[in-house]
Amino acid sequence: MSATDQSTLPQHLQKKTSNIQKSSKVVQALAIDIFLWAYTCLVSYKIIYQKLIANVRHADFAWSQPLTAIGVGAVISLVLFMTKLSIGRASKGLYDLDENESILKQPFMFFGYFVIIITFIAGINVAQVSLREFFSEAGLMGAKRIFTALLQPNFQIIEPALFAAIETIYMAFIATTISLPFAFLLGFFAARNLMSNSPITFAIYNLIRFFLNVSRSIEPLVWAIIFSVWVGIGPFAGMLALCLHSVSSLAKLYSEQIENISDGPIEAMTATGAHPIQVIWFGVVPQIVLPYLSFTIYRWDINVRMATIIGLVGGGGIGTMLMQYQGLAKWNEVGLLVIVIALIVWIMDYSSSKIRASIK
Amino acid sequence: MATNILEVKDLQKVYPNGTHALRGVSFDVTEGEFLVVIGLSGSGKSTLLRCINRLHDPSSGSVKFNKDEITTIKGQPLRNVRSKIGMIFQHFNLIPRKTVMTNVLTGTLSKTGVFKSIFGIYSEEDKKKAQELIELVGLSGKERHRADNLSGGQQQRVAIARALMQNPKMLLADEPVASLDPATSHSVMQYLKKVNEELGVTILCNLHFLSLVRQYATRVIALKGGELIYEGSPKEIDENWFKTIYGEEAVEVTID
Ligand SMILES: Nc1ncnc2c1ncn2[C@@H]1O[C@H](COP(=O)(O)OP(=O)(O)OP(=O)(O)O)[C@@H](O)[C@H]1O
Ligand SMILES: [Mg+2]
Repeated sequence: MSATDQSTLPQHLQKKTSNIQKSSKVVQALAIDIFLWAYTCLVSYKIIYQKLIANVRHADFAWSQPLTAIGVGAVISLVLFMTKLSIGRASKGLYDLDENESILKQPFMFFGYFVIIITFIAGINVAQVSLREFFSEAGLMGAKRIFTALLQPNFQIIEPALFAAIETIYMAFIATTISLPFAFLLGFFAARNLMSNSPITFAIYNLIRFFLNVSRSIEPLVWAIIFSVWVGIGPFAGMLALCLHSVSSLAKLYSEQIENISDGPIEAMTATGAHPIQVIWFGVVPQIVLPYLSFTIYRWDINVRMATIIGLVGGGGIGTMLMQYQGLAKWNEVGLLVIVIALIVWIMDYSSSKIRASIK
Repeated sequence: MATNILEVKDLQKVYPNGTHALRGVSFDVTEGEFLVVIGLSGSGKSTLLRCINRLHDPSSGSVKFNKDEITTIKGQPLRNVRSKIGMIFQHFNLIPRKTVMTNVLTGTLSKTGVFKSIFGIYSEEDKKKAQELIELVGLSGKERHRADNLSGGQQQRVAIARALMQNPKMLLADEPVASLDPATSHSVMQYLKKVNEELGVTILCNLHFLSLVRQYATRVIALKGGELIYEGSPKEIDENWFKTIYGEEAVEVTID
């Protein structure tokens, strides 16, 4: 008897864990449904009803509104949870789809379409899209003035424009080269396969991953603003912003490359009795140099574009120049700068893709 | 009387994920032997070889190489032992984009300084030896070719030359011919035989095909579920043993 008891125990446990998994899926599905219905209620009330139908000019906002929406959403989703309208259950795989129907024609998709449509209507409203202004006489006149000026670029300023362009390209190049060694080193520490052997290295890995992710998710433009407060407006602030963002993006790409290498050469080098540094040099580096080179050139290309944008907030180079002329409404000069920027971007794009293709 | 170059005793290996790959394996290898390890996929053959040169750390038990216990050594002493044990692999594991010559020279890494090897400075003596070994495995003229552009059989011969560059006392071979066609398999096995007989290097080799085992092995051990279930001469593996090792359903496939 005890033997049969023992043999049923593992199955019992298995069932339990799968039950836990299943109930966590149900909770997630319900959360998705409640969110979608609360969103639908809120948007329908605030924008479709108040703005478009009742035409309330200054609709007042109160926190009770979203809270009510959540309450109503919860009721609706609970009522509809077991029906085929539940997107949550469908997306968590908790319900058997009709195999013969395409997914686009499933009932829950129609609720999905409805959500997309009200979002679109709300979006148009929030972004204040107004065709009347777009085609107004004053508007069209302004556009005509700018376009004619842009089409007659002022070649008088070609010399300072080219110098500013060179400043931008150099800024991008220096930012790329300075970030290179840092990204190279960090790449190894952010590679899971090299770092997951001991708890200490794995903790370092997680810490570095965290910092890389945070610094990468902040746009270089924002970094440029932060640094321009820190070190003053100018190319240096722009370069720091580019460096920071390049280090974190390159380190991420590098580490992913290291994670993808094959273990074979590493094993073979270890087996010859090589020193760990030799193992990395002969077992890892030959597998990553070309992808690294390719990423780095691509990064320089990206940095040139970003340096132009960063110039707009005072990071120096051709972006700053563009900003100044735009502020003075000197559209002929702006026209020339636009042409120069387009040329740089096109040349960088073309040559970087050519170089990368040739080192494949 | 021949001496034991390797003594494995009660070797156990449990992987971090809980797989019990070796369950108390014991055997000796005498100098000059061509010992072949057979067994089903997953029986622990690769794990066994990797525990010997410590690519994996055994969980318990003892491995003695030339009478020295090597399961607990670290750092430089471990690298010294590894340098005396060459290894070749099923997928050759050559360094991509490097020449045959460079690949063979990596066999000397343990005695070339870290800086010298990074700058590619090898002694004249080593270069001459690499050249001779490339000739030995029948690849003269290919020194400057990229190793990853060679055929499978040629790549495995580069790997043999690289292992010999270490001046090994023993060679571990993990299914050295499993990704080669029958004719190439035989040619690579012939080279291993030559290394064994002419250079006196002891060989410990995992193989899948019994026909190759009968032809090249001087002695055979068989693993099943991480345990050693057979030890003897290749001729003694009859129908019954075959079914014990590979299971009742198995049918022998030959390679010629
Ligand atoms: N790195 C590892 N981590 C966890 N388990 C492993 C690892 N390597 C092998 N194993 C497991 O250990 C057992 C023995 O594997 P091993 O590779 O030694 O078998 P093998 O006899 O060489 O098989 P094959 O003929 O397929 O190469 C298998 O169950 C395998 O899944
Ligand atoms: Mg194996």
